[in-house]
Amino acid sequence: MDYLARKYLRPRKIPSTACSGCGLGQVHKKVLLAIDELGLGTGDIVWGTGIGCAGRQTFNTWKGDNFAGTHGRVYALATGLRLALPPEKKIILTVGDGDAFGIGLLHLLNCARRNVGLTVIVCDNLGYQSTGGQYGWTTPAGYCTDSSPLGMWEPNWVQGGRDILAVLKAAGATFLARHTSFEGRNAVLSIKKALLNNGFSLVHVYFPCVTNFGARALGTRRPAAIYQWFRERTAAMDQAGPEVDFPLRTGIYYDASNSRPEFCENLRAWVAEVQEQGGNR
Amino acid sequence: MKRLLETGNGAITEGAIIAGCRVFAGYPITPATEIAENMARRLPRAGGFYLQAEDELAALYICIGASAGGMKAMTATSGPGYILYADPFGWAISSEIPLVIVNSQRVGPVSGITGAPGQGEFYLSRYLTHGGNFENIVLAPAGVQEAFAITVQAFYLAERFRMPVTILADQLVTDGWETLLIPETGAELEAMGLKVIERRVNRGPEFYPATDAIDVPPVVLGHNTGAACSDWTPTAEGYDTEEVEWQHKHAYRLIYKVRNHKDLLTRYEAYFVDDEPEVILVAYGSPSRVVKSAVKVAREQGLKVGGLRLVTLWPFPEEIFSWQAKYLVVEMNYDGQLVREVQRATPKGSAIHFLGKCGELPRVAELVELIRALVNDRPLPCNPREREVW
Repeated sequence: MDYLARKYLRPRKIPSTACSGCGLGQVHKKVLLAIDELGLGTGDIVWGTGIGCAGRQTFNTWKGDNFAGTHGRVYALATGLRLALPPEKKIILTVGDGDAFGIGLLHLLNCARRNVGLTVIVCDNLGYQSTGGQYGWTTPAGYCTDSSPLGMWEPNWVQGGRDILAVLKAAGATFLARHTSFEGRNAVLSIKKALLNNGFSLVHVYFPCVTNFGARALGTRRPAAIYQWFRERTAAMDQAGPEVDFPLRTGIYYDASNSRPEFCENLRAWVAEVQEQGGNR
Repeated sequence: MKRLLETGNGAITEGAIIAGCRVFAGYPITPATEIAENMARRLPRAGGFYLQAEDELAALYICIGASAGGMKAMTATSGPGYILYADPFGWAISSEIPLVIVNSQRVGPVSGITGAPGQGEFYLSRYLTHGGNFENIVLAPAGVQEAFAITVQAFYLAERFRMPVTILADQLVTDGWETLLIPETGAELEAMGLKVIERRVNRGPEFYPATDAIDVPPVVLGHNTGAACSDWTPTAEGYDTEEVEWQHKHAYRLIYKVRNHKDLLTRYEAYFVDDEPEVILVAYGSPSRVVKSAVKVAREQGLKVGGLRLVTLWPFPEEIFSWQAKYLVVEMNYDGQLVREVQRATPKGSAIHFLGKCGELPRVAELVELIRALVNDRPLPCNPREREVW
């Protein structure tokens, strides 16, 4: 991670202990590039993580302040922290697909409803990989994992007319985007826009798992073959994509940045108003 | 001094605001809902924030986040919500986050009766989270004025010990109306024996002393100190580690910062004990008030009996059960939770008896009858649902 790592990450956390060939480093680097290009420093951001591959590999890598929540609960914790921090401090959460779209979905939806000023980066490796490769909430239909040995039969959050981003949009999120870790500038631009939104932003980034998803679902541990699988399925949201079993439609899904008041700023303003009226409200 | 007719719920609200609490996140549940409602009314006027959370997990995590950001926070619930605190409570214990948790116990298990009192979370309040390797501070008020004082003390202890402090109340304490005196100046607060500590910021580089030290400023995020706060095993700098040696140090700290400073914590009330009576009644919370009346009535009738009321429940005050006697433990549950700890703490040769009540208070006359039987070495009248000789 070169100069970005030296500038923003703790030396003892480099290199990461992620599996060789893991795409998480690519996602991590995109977030750092976005931070760097916005001219932000370690004091501008408090970095939170969840659990699983994404949480474990990104926790405490940031040279500034860090926290890690228990599985799926970091959104509520970040809501409380948002209340206590000055509005100009940014909170980034790097979490996994299970953390965000499974166990933590209730809290995530409520952050979107409230429009809490958080930038959530969902690092999605298509299942529960740190526990050995079980199916998750975005595992493609029909693919085999350790807990769907005969094929993924349970409806997921991204197929069959469903899209978790649509659910988050309906809940009130003000910036939503989706990318793969293989994409370059587009993903960085989306993360930058997410960081500039004074409200709830979520960027969903798919990345390859070589060790479990690759081996079990795709039948290969070769990064090149897994890359090919992703490439064949990736198409921009505003273009007609290829007819594939699991389309990865990337780009900005919804951008209503700065269109709704941020929850904590709104609450602060309301409390100030109550106090100005001498508490006679 | 302001004098009001107030409930325990109201007293806890006022105590929290005086102690500097500016964030309350809660989820409505009888009989603790009025704390949330009072906070929603009172906090904005005091410049604070009330949040209604999506569930109890979120409620406690929001408090944790606010506290990790430097604000004093509190949440309140009853048994069915309290069990959901298990996950965030562990996080706060391990990360040493100061905050206050109120549990107004109702009869259970599970939903039970919303409007009937219980004392079924005595052990849960000690062992609310998984993994072991921690000690816990739990205080139990028996009335409205005490609920106020204990709330202020709970915030004070939370700051000094860098940990969540639990107020284990019951429905009769939180819903009951009594006179409440609220101090209006620092001097009045001090005259009540109460103190408030402002939040400090740990600037590192050592965020976690691997000792039993108290009065260490808590980790506060957002000051660009490179602070790290998580549920993972921390090194002294707060980094996560997989080395078991650090887990040993962490466990030592979490257990012995409390145990080695027990003298700052142990609070109890002992009455009619100067003549070392043969029979001692033990209780906490609402039943302790009936017990006190019964002991007084029994003394008037010439029965040599005394009483102990526990205010500090955890760490358990073993040292106050210093003499051999016939103990009668009175609780608002049928399974006997406190009685087991008393049995463990009392000197050899003591006889331990139990009177359990389920969803209601014991009666003075019934307690006096039991005291008379114990003093005269007669067997206790035995209703198998209610009484048991231990």
